[in-house]
Amino acid sequence: MIDITYALGVLAAMTVVTFGLRALPFLAARFLQSHPLVQRLGRFLPLAIMTLLLLHTLVGSAGQNPSGPWAELVAVVTTMGLQWWRRHALLSILAGTLLYVALRNVGFAS
Amino acid sequence: MISPSDPSPVPGIPRISVLSLSVPVAMGYVPLGMVFGFLFVQAGAPWWLALTASVFVYAGASQFMMVPMLAAGLPVASIALATLVVNLRHMFYGLSLLNKLPSQPGARWYLVFALTDETYSVLTTLPPGTRAGQMVTVALLNQGWWVLGTLLGAVIGAQAQIGLVGLDFALAALFAVLAVEQWRSAESSAPLWVAVASYGIALAVMPQQALLVAIALSVCAGLFWPKSTHEEAAP
Repeated sequence: MIDITYALGVLAAMTVVTFGLRALPFLAARFLQSHPLVQRLGRFLPLAIMTLLLLHTLVGSAGQNPSGPWAELVAVVTTMGLQWWRRHALLSILAGTLLYVALRNVGFAS
Repeated sequence: MISPSDPSPVPGIPRISVLSLSVPVAMGYVPLGMVFGFLFVQAGAPWWLALTASVFVYAGASQFMMVPMLAAGLPVASIALATLVVNLRHMFYGLSLLNKLPSQPGARWYLVFALTDETYSVLTTLPPGTRAGQMVTVALLNQGWWVLGTLLGAVIGAQAQIGLVGLDFALAALFAVLAVEQWRSAESSAPLWVAVASYGIALAVMPQQALLVAIALSVCAGLFWPKSTHEEAAP
């Protein structure tokens, strides 16, 4: 059994650290907003970070897939292609996810 | 569930509705939250402590990381340090949202608190001029899925098993859709290729901390990003 007081202490520390990291740029906002480097990052980072989150999720998912990364590749190419073509977020996500679930549960005999 | 009352896109202005952005997050957060709740209760904690973690800490990766550390009784300071390393990337999220978040203190600070990977990605995609209420709604919905999943996992425990492998791919699909949208609206696709290269380097050098290292490399590259030549023409 985990000691409740200790666990609450851990959770409080984690809450402070997590919120502190998320809040830091906003606390420094007055300085940051006018800074040209920050404006550069503001234009550069969204696409870069989104690409990284996608890559990281795919690599993690492919790592748990015993039959190789093919299901991930097929599903992500389908999702991105659909989104580029139709620009309908829910459609792209549902189609990509259903295709992936089908590939993992039906096909790909290893 | 796809609601028919989902607002349809305004012709000419591609618009992603708040609900359709939160549904894929739900498909990832509910099962993942269930796994967290289940593992946490298995480690010997009461269900309400799992719920407290998801309400107040609300950071998926570090919540998973904390379970074995808590069970092993590690010092609070070392768990706090590990949380700092795992969540360091969140610090960069605020940088690109500085001018986008509402100025009302309540809405602003809740959004800052709720700035997970998924909520960040959704917020960056909302069109300029999105009302504060809509931003808070999407963030609250997302945290609601996470808390709901945690509760289900903690209470139902062993009976809560997902029959289909791969439903959590919805999160990857969400990132893919948002990357395409960012790609289309970016002035250049260089950030994408920089990110791919950064991730490759990070995987080769520090696979355990690949995401953090790759973000740091991308930030360094972004600092040298040339000033836009269309600065004046930009809205």
